[in-house]
Order: sequence, then C-alpha cells, then structure tokens
Amino acid sequence: MKEKKKLICNRCRVELKAQKTYFEYLGHSFHADIPRCPECGEVYIPEDLAKGRIAEVEMQLEDK
Amino acid sequence: MEKFKESIKTCLQHEPAFCTAACPFGLDIRDFIPKLQRGAFNAAYRTYLNAVGFPGIVSQICHEPCKEVCPRRFKDQAIAVRHLEKSAIDYARNLNPNSYNIPPKNKKIAVIGAGISGLGCALRLASKKYDVTVFEKSDRIGGHLWDLLPPEVFLAEIERQFIYEEYTLLLNTEIKSLDQLDFDAVYIATGKGGADFGLKYDPNGAYASTRPGVFLGGELCGRNIIEAIADGLNVTKAIEWYIKTGGMNQPPEQRGTKIKLNPDFITPVEQVLPGEGEPFTQDHAVNEAKRCLLCACDACVRHCDLMRYYGKFPKRIGEEVEITVRPGTLDGDGTVATRLISTCNHCGLCKEVCPQDIDTGDLLLQSHRAMRQKGAMPWAFHDFWLRDMEFTNSDEAALCRLPEGYSKSEYVFFPGCQLGASDPRYVIESYRFLLGHHPDTALMLGCCGAPAEWAGEGPIHDDVIERLRKDWISLGKPIAVFACPTCYQMFGKYLREVQGVFLYNLISELGVSTAGKTYGETASVFDPCTSRHEPELHQAIRKLAEQSGFSLERLPYDGKYARCCSWGGQVSVANPPYAREVVKVRIAQSDNPYIAYCANCRDIFASAGKQCYHILDVIFGINGAGRKPPTLTGRRYNRIVLKRKLLEEYWKEKPEDMQMGSKIKLYISPELKRKLNDEMILETDIEKVVEHCETSGRKIVDADSNSFSGHLLIGNMTYWVEYHSKDDGYELLNAYSHRMKIEEE
Repeated sequence: MKEKKKLICNRCRVELKAQKTYFEYLGHSFHADIPRCPECGEVYIPEDLAKGRIAEVEMQLEDK
Repeated sequence: MEKFKESIKTCLQHEPAFCTAACPFGLDIRDFIPKLQRGAFNAAYRTYLNAVGFPGIVSQICHEPCKEVCPRRFKDQAIAVRHLEKSAIDYARNLNPNSYNIPPKNKKIAVIGAGISGLGCALRLASKKYDVTVFEKSDRIGGHLWDLLPPEVFLAEIERQFIYEEYTLLLNTEIKSLDQLDFDAVYIATGKGGADFGLKYDPNGAYASTRPGVFLGGELCGRNIIEAIADGLNVTKAIEWYIKTGGMNQPPEQRGTKIKLNPDFITPVEQVLPGEGEPFTQDHAVNEAKRCLLCACDACVRHCDLMRYYGKFPKRIGEEVEITVRPGTLDGDGTVATRLISTCNHCGLCKEVCPQDIDTGDLLLQSHRAMRQKGAMPWAFHDFWLRDMEFTNSDEAALCRLPEGYSKSEYVFFPGCQLGASDPRYVIESYRFLLGHHPDTALMLGCCGAPAEWAGEGPIHDDVIERLRKDWISLGKPIAVFACPTCYQMFGKYLREVQGVFLYNLISELGVSTAGKTYGETASVFDPCTSRHEPELHQAIRKLAEQSGFSLERLPYDGKYARCCSWGGQVSVANPPYAREVVKVRIAQSDNPYIAYCANCRDIFASAGKQCYHILDVIFGINGAGRKPPTLTGRRYNRIVLKRKLLEEYWKEKPEDMQMGSKIKLYISPELKRKLNDEMILETDIEKVVEHCETSGRKIVDADSNSFSGHLLIGNMTYWVEYHSKDDGYELLNAYSHRMKIEEE
C-alpha cells in the first residue's frame, strides 16, 4: 500500500481533504470524493484515478 | 441510409454454397466440412446422416453433382466430397441413428413401392411416429439398388437405419387401384416404368399429384437413384403439410444459389489422395476438408477489418446502426453501435469486394454525421484530430501563395497536412522539383478537410472546403498537384471543379534522376486505400521504385484491393485495440520493407517497427526505411518549420522567431515524451498547463517531494501535470489527461 502523500494547496497553504466533487461527461453528471482544498476548492486527481475509474466511466458512457 | 436499406435486401449472406445448392439432399457443406476439419468425424457423420437418410448407400453411389460446381475445379481439383462422406462413416464412433421418444401420431400413411425412395419416405415418417405401411409387389425390398450394390451392403444399411422405427411392410402386395387404400396420405414410388395410377404432377405443389393426398416421386418421375432417395426424404414435408392443412400446395424447394466467388482470392492447394482404391486415412480426410473454401458470400467479412473484428455482416451492422441513430428506447439513448460507427476506416474495400455493391462504409459515414448532428457522438473520438486540422489551417502552418512575379499559375502543389509533418523536406524537395519544371507553380499548405469528414462535422467541413475553394480561385484555378491520395479523394468528392493530378505521376512523366542511389533491395509497395481506383498511380509508383533499383514483390492486398493502414477515419481514439490489430496485420503481410506513398501509412508502420520508405525518400534520397517518425508534437513543429523555410527560400520573408506553445522552459525526458505521444498529449498543451499553474498559483504542493501538480481544461480535455523547478525552468515529472470535466464552481 502506497503511503498517502501530504498534499497542500499552494494558494491557501492548507492540506487537501476528500470532498464531494461533481463531474460531467456527455451530458451525464455524477460525483465522487476526491482530495480538495477546504478553502478554495482546488482539486487533485492522481494518475491512477484518471486512468482507472475515470477512464472506465468515460468508456461506459461512450458505449451507453 | 435509405440507399443502404434498399441495397442490403440484395445481400447474399444466406445463400447456400454451390455444392449445397447442387446436392439433391442439400447437404449443408458449411456445417459438414468444419467438423471434419477439426477431426470430429462422429459429428460430421450425424450431419451427413440427417441429410441423406442412408449414408451407407448414398456414399457408395452418389454421382457427385457437387464436383461439377466446386469453384476449386478451375484452380486445382474439386473437393472430393464423397470420399469425405465415406471417411465420416469410416471414422465415426457410432453409426446407429438416433432414437426419438415421440408419442404416436394418429395418421396412416401408405407408401407404394419398397425401393429406396419409398423406404426413405417410410423412414422419415416412421421416425416421426406416423403409422406407415409399405406395399411392395415383389418379394424383396430395395428395388433398383439390387442392380447397383451388393445386397449385403444396402440391406444392412436399411436395417440399421430402421433399427428404432416400426412400420408395416407388405411384400408381394400389388396395389391395383388407389381406391382400395384407406389412408390419410399416399406416396407413390413405384420406380422407373412403375404404376402411376393415371396420375399427373400438379405443378402447384411439391411432389403433388392431381389427386388430393397422393404424392409422386423417385425414379417413377424420371429421377436418378440419388434424387429418388432425396425425393423420399423430402416428400415427407409435403405430406405433413397436407395432413396439417389439407393443402397440396407445399411450395417446391428452390434450388440454386446466387453467390459469386472472386477467383482472385482462391489459393491453389494440391489435393493429396491415398493410393488407387484405398480409403482416406483420417489425415487425408482432414487435409482434404481443409481445402474446402466453405463457399459463402462472405467477402465483406473476410476482407473488411471492421466486420471481421466485430464478427458482423452488413445486415446486422445496418440494424445496429439503425437503432443507434434512431433508438427505440424510451429515453432515446440505446446507442449500441456508437463505437462501431466510429471504427470504420472508410477505405471502401467492403464495397469493392461485395458482388452486390453494398456500401456499408458509406452507411457508417452517413450515420456518423447523423449522430454528430444530434450530439450523440462522443466528442473525444475526433477532438484531437479536429484540433490538429485547426492548427494546420491556422496562420502558424497554412500558406497559399503564387511564386514571386506571377499573377496566376498552371499548377498548385497541395502536399496535405501530414507530409510536411512527417518531414518538411518531403514538401520542400517536391516543390523544388515542380518549380524546376513549372516555375509558376503555386503552393497551398493546409488540410483537405478529411478529419472533419470522418468526424461527421458537417459545418466545420463545409468551412474548410469553402476556404480551399476561395484559395484555389485566388491562384487562378490551377491544376492541383497532390502528394496525398486522401486529399485527392476529398477534392474529387467536394471540389469537383478542381482538376487534380498526383505528384508521383508528374515525377514519373517528367523524369527525375533518382538521387544517384541504387537500392538493390527487394521491397513491396503498400498502396494506400485511397489510391484504390487509381491504376495509373499504382504504375507510376512501381516504375519510380524500380528505376531506383528495387525489385518488387506484390503484397496479398494491393491495387484495387488495397487495405487501410489504420489511419483512415482516425479511429485510433475511438477504438485503440482495433487500430493496433490492423497495423499488426498490415506489417505482417511481408517481411520485405514497404514503399508507401501516403505519409500516414509510412509513419504508422515505421512506428510499429516496420522498415518502410516513403516513395519521396527513394526519389530524393531523403531518409532510410528505419526512420522513427516524429511525435505528435514534432509533427506540429515540422509544419511551422516547413512554412518558415518555404517563406524564406521562395518569398524571401523571414518570419519572427518561431514560438510554439508558451514562453516557459520545460524539460521533458525522452521516456516521458514517448508516453505523452502514446497518450496523444501535446507537449505544447502541457507547457500551457505548467504556465497556468505558475501564473495563477493554482497548484498542489506535494510536501514530501516538494513537487507540484495542477490541471487545466484545454478545449474539452483536462490535462494534469506533475513537475518541479529546475534551473531556469521546470522539469516535467508526469502528465496525463481525462475526458471527464470537473465541475469546479
């Protein structure tokens, strides 16, 4: 198990926390908990999420 | 799409093989042979048994009408089907028929004549548990077979096939008048010259006589012995129809087939037979079965990558496309074929090989456009290439000029977007050549609009075409010289007023001293699919290659049967595994280096490790066959360089210093560059993301490694970067993208 990175928002200097975030693709909207700055809302999506679950959902929506 | 609906009605997908159509039993060769091919003799025997009723007799005396129609008879030898049938019997585990547990039917059938036709009828009906009585005037069964086969052969076979069936046999019982019979139906099979009870054929029904409930067949009706057996088996359908409906109008079975087979695709395979009079061994049978072409009208599925990949015939594709474009679901989103529609290379081979000219590719192009119009086609499938086209046609890369001192031109060189992207020298050297012969030759750098056509983007495509038309008019309506067969095709379709010629035909006509290099290699010309109907171009390319010292060997698919390199339709985003598969198959066609004359074919094959020249490499001695193509970013850079160099050389203009992307300095390792290229991420876009993070401060700090992450939406795509500071700029650590949009506000 990879050690959890300590991620800090550059502008607000606070640590990111998992927060409900909305996504949109091909007219469909849904949400997931991803690291976000509690102050300004800056988001972080790691590569394994982008290429894993996100890519999977993209593919499902394209074939829907 | 309406045109397709009409043409698909003529599809021959379900027509039988030639031999099946000629076989009195209609033996389904496409069921029988594959079983033998895999050595499943027992399964093959069951198929044969079901078709002919008495395998042990038919396999001995069949006159083999199948051999007269086998398409192999012209190439090598017709398939020895009867030997294969014997092998199925010889090597089957169990020769006995099936025993069916069916309740008896309360119907009585009389069969007059215990020859093999009458017994065939009795066998079929008895197995369906009708009450069958066979009347025979002589004291033995078998009729004409006594003259053809040893009795121990056919009597044993008859006994075996009736092993589970019951029927009444009345020997020495001559029927003088049908009135003496009290039966639900009668089959008269009294043999050649036998009694017909004064009945005539009724042409309105299969085996029907003019008397209701009475049927005629076999040698009595002038049939040969094999046809007589088939009659006995087949008449049972008409009898059952009569019993169920009272009608004598069971339609006669239509024989024949409409399939056509292109002999170009039949490869001769020598027949290996056992010694005279010896039976086939199992190996003989399997090998002979493997020679069978399993004739079917399936040229589309065999030759079209898309249909083979999906395992679907045009009719099925048509149905799936229909419900995708016009979904019947309540929420209107049952888009089952979206990805299939976006996987067509639009190479035109499906129509070329179809004997009925069914154009499935055109259906997919039209439906792509329809899907785009209603916003149902995922934008991601074509976004990258539409942006690429936009770049090509932007001020950074596009150009439309007459040479200095000319107000109109006879020719204009239109190299297309990817030739200069692959290597600017292809365009520079070609233009130099053209100017050497025609100093008034103008130049148009830009895109022909193919990416918009393939993306189904009607309005964008219209804009590109309009601009091209205006540019061409501004040059004095010159003859366009094309280096790219796709551009030639697109102009032919949408700018018909523009007369076009191929660069290579001109070079071949005008002559060129081929860079002084003699290759002395054996190579194969890879014709691009868009050159399909350009035989003169095919010849010109071969002539130029041979002049340079190449010995040429043909590829299995070339000329009018050229296949797409995978670029057509720009399908690699919508269906990456399909595109990879296509490339793999193309480069495996021959070990020879290829000579391509489409920059995309050349670069795609070279990327996959295939030795491949562009014909301009050969003509002007530009590159070797092993040159790795530039990355997608490099291809954009090359187009800027090309414009700049041409402006400098021919118009004495020195544009301002070239600037691609942002002003920041970003270091990217070669491995990372490869990754970006594989994921279709432009380095220029990545620079924009880093610049955005730095100027806005919107970035995430990884406290442990002191590196930064950030993202930016460019067009529709969201790009992510991981980087840190380095010297006077930044070093990229990673980058990736996704299509899904983050709702940030």
